[in-house]
Amino acid sequence: MHTRTPLHAVTWLIWALAAAFTVQLAPSPVYVAVVIGICALVVEMHAPRTAFSRAFPIILSLAVAFGLLRVLLTALTSHGIGDVWFTLPSFELPRVLGGFTVGGTIEGPVVLQASAEAFVIVGVIAAFGAFNALASHYELVQSAPRAFHELGLVVTVGIAFVPSTILSIQAAREADKARTGGRVVRRGRLLRLVIPVLESGLERAVALAESMDSRGFARSTAARAEQASAWCGLGALVALGGAFVALIGRADAAALGLSIAGSALLVFAVFLASRATERMRYRPRPLTGADWTVRGASLLAPIAVGIAAVAGDSSLVWVAQPLAWPSVSVLPVVGILFLLAPMLVRPIAADRDADEIAAHPVARTAPGVGALIGSKPQ
Amino acid sequence: MSAIQIRDLRFAYPDSEPAIDGADLDVEAGEILLVTGGSGSGKSTLLRAVNGLVPHSTGGSFGGDVVVFGRSTRTHRPRELADVVGFVHQDPEAQFVVDQVEADLAFTLENLGTPPAAMRRRVEEVLDALGIAHLRSRAPASLSGGERQRCAIAGALAAGPQALVLDEPTSQLDPQGAEDVLAAIGRLNTDLGTTVLIAEHRLERAGPLADRAVIVESGRPGLPGLPGPVLAEYPGAPSVTRLGRVLGWDPLPLTVRDARRLAVTVELPLADLPEPAAPGDLLVRGERIRVDLGGRKVLDGVDLEARRGDVLALLGRNGSGKTTLLRALAGLIDVERGAVERIGSVAYVPQHPGSMLFAPTVRREVTETLRLLGRRDHGDVDRWLEALGLESLAERHPRSLSGGERQRVAIAAVAVGGADVLLLDEPTRGMDWPSRAALEQAVRAHANNGGAVVLATHDVELVARLATHAVVLGDGDVVADGDARTVLSGSLFAPQVLRVLPPYLTVEEVALAVGARQ
Repeated sequence: MHTRTPLHAVTWLIWALAAAFTVQLAPSPVYVAVVIGICALVVEMHAPRTAFSRAFPIILSLAVAFGLLRVLLTALTSHGIGDVWFTLPSFELPRVLGGFTVGGTIEGPVVLQASAEAFVIVGVIAAFGAFNALASHYELVQSAPRAFHELGLVVTVGIAFVPSTILSIQAAREADKARTGGRVVRRGRLLRLVIPVLESGLERAVALAESMDSRGFARSTAARAEQASAWCGLGALVALGGAFVALIGRADAAALGLSIAGSALLVFAVFLASRATERMRYRPRPLTGADWTVRGASLLAPIAVGIAAVAGDSSLVWVAQPLAWPSVSVLPVVGILFLLAPMLVRPIAADRDADEIAAHPVARTAPGVGALIGSKPQ
Repeated sequence: MSAIQIRDLRFAYPDSEPAIDGADLDVEAGEILLVTGGSGSGKSTLLRAVNGLVPHSTGGSFGGDVVVFGRSTRTHRPRELADVVGFVHQDPEAQFVVDQVEADLAFTLENLGTPPAAMRRRVEEVLDALGIAHLRSRAPASLSGGERQRCAIAGALAAGPQALVLDEPTSQLDPQGAEDVLAAIGRLNTDLGTTVLIAEHRLERAGPLADRAVIVESGRPGLPGLPGPVLAEYPGAPSVTRLGRVLGWDPLPLTVRDARRLAVTVELPLADLPEPAAPGDLLVRGERIRVDLGGRKVLDGVDLEARRGDVLALLGRNGSGKTTLLRALAGLIDVERGAVERIGSVAYVPQHPGSMLFAPTVRREVTETLRLLGRRDHGDVDRWLEALGLESLAERHPRSLSGGERQRVAIAAVAVGGADVLLLDEPTRGMDWPSRAALEQAVRAHANNGGAVVLATHDVELVARLATHAVVLGDGDVVADGDARTVLSGSLFAPQVLRVLPPYLTVEEVALAVGARQ
């Protein structure tokens, strides 16, 4: 199958998760900034021109806006920690609402610390946005265990509604303006925009559900063994992930227990899956050497940062009190740079779609069907 | 035994009047059966009953039997009929599940559990059968309407069904796209023997394609028969058929080719063709308009003016800038260079009426515009409801209406504001003949009352009947400009009557000439 990015969707997922974990493990602004920069570079180089890749900057700015809001709220409600920048008029919330003071002293360390924390969130969202821009969601569903296929497809179709909703918001806004001959009426405007958008979306959803039904979706459901296998696999993943977190958190007993449980579930999942029948897949994408290289390299990033954390590297976390420039050490930086691995893979030409149109300007005339079906075309 | 048997089918949507009321219909294996009839006649419901969407996905009360290749829809859900019936929707956007054409084609095959090797071969075959191999890696959203609809048909066809059911597959398409889709359907029928059940409003191309036709009226299909005789008395018949009726031809022609053969013997005195009216006062003028969208020059130096009494048609292929020009005239986008001078007030009706309908009833939808403009006098509401033939629908929910009816509601809701110039973008898309007739009447009345109408359209039959002027756009500038008869006369896409009996544009003009002869 022709593909629009040079790497498998699961590879992109692993890469994005590695980036998100790295940010969590090394929340110092310097490291976060490097990871965000890497995400932007990789999107720039590899993302196909779809509605999702165009959404990447939007997602980033939403994340920044959300972060700024968080900083503002924290600054207004946390007091008595450090140097006062300036003082605002303040009032006290009633007991029922928590009874804390809003406004009052705006303190440097509070603002800086909250900013650093918000920046981590921006970093995680950047990794998520990059994954959306880079990977084919359908390819990911195709790789999921049989038991999750129906559910995954429904989610994928749901995600695909996001860009089309943005388009119908634009159409509704324009129709609203056209209606009065360009005069802008603000009263009741939200309703005039929201209802057409929601109803159009609902109509599309109903039509799509009918189309999926007509095309045999959910005709045969997963066998019980496949379902059991999938749930065991999921359980294993959660347990092993928990073990990893527990290890970082120095809860050795919990880590040991979780990893034993996770390994057992994993073995059991593989055992069950081997007894289940395979779902028929159309041209599943083979994993290439590039996929394995990127996966391996990406995983090195959180591992390196994790080792640094276990070794007690103090540069990973930055605190605003006492105020100092964030420090940088070699191991985490080298680790994070492994996230650049996708840059080593040659991208698929971005304007290939346009090339194809140019190459087949009059491809309308198709050969007779009879020549193709039943006998080989000469 | 027939491929599809419908016996005494009765169906009503939940809490509604019966949509199908005692339908009997047989579709023979290997034929193309054309179903036509006005909006709300029940033809869509009839088609959806064939693969079990009615009643399985709609609910409602169901009686009678539909048997498809020996399987009853009472016991088989749509997904269990997916291997024998392929279903194609009116709206090509709503049927893609996967965002890549090739993977979407395989969707049905994967659901049916086809072995990978057979799957691969089927997909390659349908890619060629519909001439879309070059689109295989594209996202459906990036395709043109005609390409998208052909991909949707390929998706329905991939599983190798014995029958295809198509619900107005060309009503949302431009003429070129419609022609491609119908040609593909004809080829599938000839080469593979696929049984085709197709519903259409526009019969100029679908009529000649069909082996038999049937007209559905108030929930009941009539007697199916050869398309010519069945459509003879139907008001929505192609122009050449209606022309044949006026001239007393027998058999009635369905195609321009048949009609031309018959027209050799016709001698008509050259009747007085209506003279172009004297130009009225200027209402809106565009001078050397240039518009860039996304770094692409969409319009480059377009001159255009609309005066009182004008019905101006904008023609041109998809992407030639018709919509952009309307939006520039309406002031919805800025012009890069040149100027738009609006002497009268201007209002614009977008292509997809769904993007503006939000009120609970048609009347409130129309009244809303006046409320937004701060007018207290609501007398115009009834005038426009009547002009567009919407009185009987005034208390219905706009979204429960058919595409053509919705379009009329949208036009009424914009026009009621009292703008001098109405800009209509593809107003007849998906319209049945009663809707078209109502629209034509309203447009004519608006122009006669001293307004002007600018239509962007692909519908040359509409242009022939309605337009006083026509402008053809191509590659961002004006290719032809003049009175409608002159512009259409030289065109490859001339309306049917003009191609059979020039210089007449419409059946009505010929009827006048015939009257003058007698």
